[in-house]
Amino acid sequence: MITDEQLLDAFAGYGVDRDNAAHFRGRLEHRLLINRCGDCGVWQHPPRPVCPACWSTNVTAQPVSGTGTIYLAVFLHQGPPAPGVDYSTPYPLVTVELDEQPGLRFTATVIGADNDDIAIGARVHLDWIERGGVPVPAFGLGGAS
Amino acid sequence: MITSRNPLRDRVAFAGAATTGFVAENTGRSQASLAAEACIKVLRECGLTAKDVDGICGTSPSAPYVQSMLGIPEVTWFANPAMPLVNHVAAAVSAVASGLCETVLAYHAAYRLPWNTGSAWKDPFRRGSSGGPLPLNGVVDSVFGSVGYTAWASRYLHEFGTPREHLGYVAVNDRSNAAMNPAAAMRDPLTMDDYLAARMVRWPLCLYDMDIAVDGADAFVITTAERARDLPNPPVLVDAVALGMAGKNDEDQSVDLDHHGQQITVAALKAKSDFWIDDCDVYYPYDGFSIITLNWIENAGWCGRGEAGDFLAEHWDKEQQRVLINGRVPINSHGGSLSEGGTQGSGHLREAVHQLQGKAGARQVEGAQRAIVTAGGFFFNAQGVTLHRM
Repeated sequence: MITDEQLLDAFAGYGVDRDNAAHFRGRLEHRLLINRCGDCGVWQHPPRPVCPACWSTNVTAQPVSGTGTIYLAVFLHQGPPAPGVDYSTPYPLVTVELDEQPGLRFTATVIGADNDDIAIGARVHLDWIERGGVPVPAFGLGGAS
Repeated sequence: MITSRNPLRDRVAFAGAATTGFVAENTGRSQASLAAEACIKVLRECGLTAKDVDGICGTSPSAPYVQSMLGIPEVTWFANPAMPLVNHVAAAVSAVASGLCETVLAYHAAYRLPWNTGSAWKDPFRRGSSGGPLPLNGVVDSVFGSVGYTAWASRYLHEFGTPREHLGYVAVNDRSNAAMNPAAAMRDPLTMDDYLAARMVRWPLCLYDMDIAVDGADAFVITTAERARDLPNPPVLVDAVALGMAGKNDEDQSVDLDHHGQQITVAALKAKSDFWIDDCDVYYPYDGFSIITLNWIENAGWCGRGEAGDFLAEHWDKEQQRVLINGRVPINSHGGSLSEGGTQGSGHLREAVHQLQGKAGARQVEGAQRAIVTAGGFFFNAQGVTLHRM
């Protein structure tokens, strides 16, 4: 396992802190980890150190299936410089409602799809891309990878 | 929990409001110099000196910086709230109502910064103040910050089948109002065809759906109702203030379009206020992004959910190319964030005060007595204030 210093270096600029470090460690293994309460079972994102439903501190980052439904969808015609991102084709960015819990959402880009096919209500599955030397979660259209 | 408890009602007043005016270009000035100009202007208009100020409230430059810059000898209260500006109103009004101080100088200097306009990067003094390059990794895959409003615009259009023209009404209305406002940055006419032809920036929002980065400042004097009565301007009384926020307030976790800060703000204001939309003469819904305005109009109760565009069309004055609700009530009469300039709500507040003081020039609504300002967006910055003339 890499050290905390190595984790912070690998994800420089991502805002890694004590409460989301486990999530970013999961990315290195291509696992999407979301905080879940060990007492009442409620999921939460972004990662916070206490369960908002029961105030338990027994909250740990757990894997999710990565399947869900697009809830918000934007296409960036311009944006911040990022390795491998070419805004000449508008960059899709979707917020996906994960199947694990109503209202539990994760935001990422979509790969392997025409922008015309990316729409609110579409089913997606988790996939991964590499950017700046680290894995970045992304979604593909369709329910299964 | 929302209660009708409101002991501050009518105990605190705006004694004055002033502006430097706004330009959508890099002035060769600092943010502090803009703040200083607005602060000095409002104090002089109120007939006050530095010695009369015992409270200071603003974001940037900080309250201590402004105190020393203006030679204000002693204050007993100050604060540096986050934007938008009803945060400042809530802090200052509370401080005056509770007696922590008596007379607050509140200010807001809008300033073009490298992160919101590429051309601001060309000014080495602005570049130097940016604190180094922004962290870019991860930003592109997030809907935090301004992208969040674009994301929820996609949801709104999806749920209600809204045509882009409905957003366009907000932009054209602002521009037509700005044409009557010498302080506004953008005063050239804008047509619906111009709007629809504009460059897309983040689909579904285009260039004219987004506020304009400007240089300029507003300042306010907030004091007790008793003190304000002795000052030269007509006092504008604070009726109610609310800063509404929902438990799910991260941009992508907000429950849905019916459960964010706007509904809570409106419910709180209606519970605390002596009046609401049926009795207001001027209305200021925030418009940092056009989609925010459509939602405020609906959540304030002017029309049903998804109906704001039709409402604007129904109350559209074709000759003036702007909205006059029931032929009478303008919306963002100063030109709003989209045309006066991106002031994070200070322009909306200043214009509301000026309308109630009868100082709104060519834009004056005759006999305006009551104003509603609903500032900010959805997540952690939906807020409002109701004001009326003494």
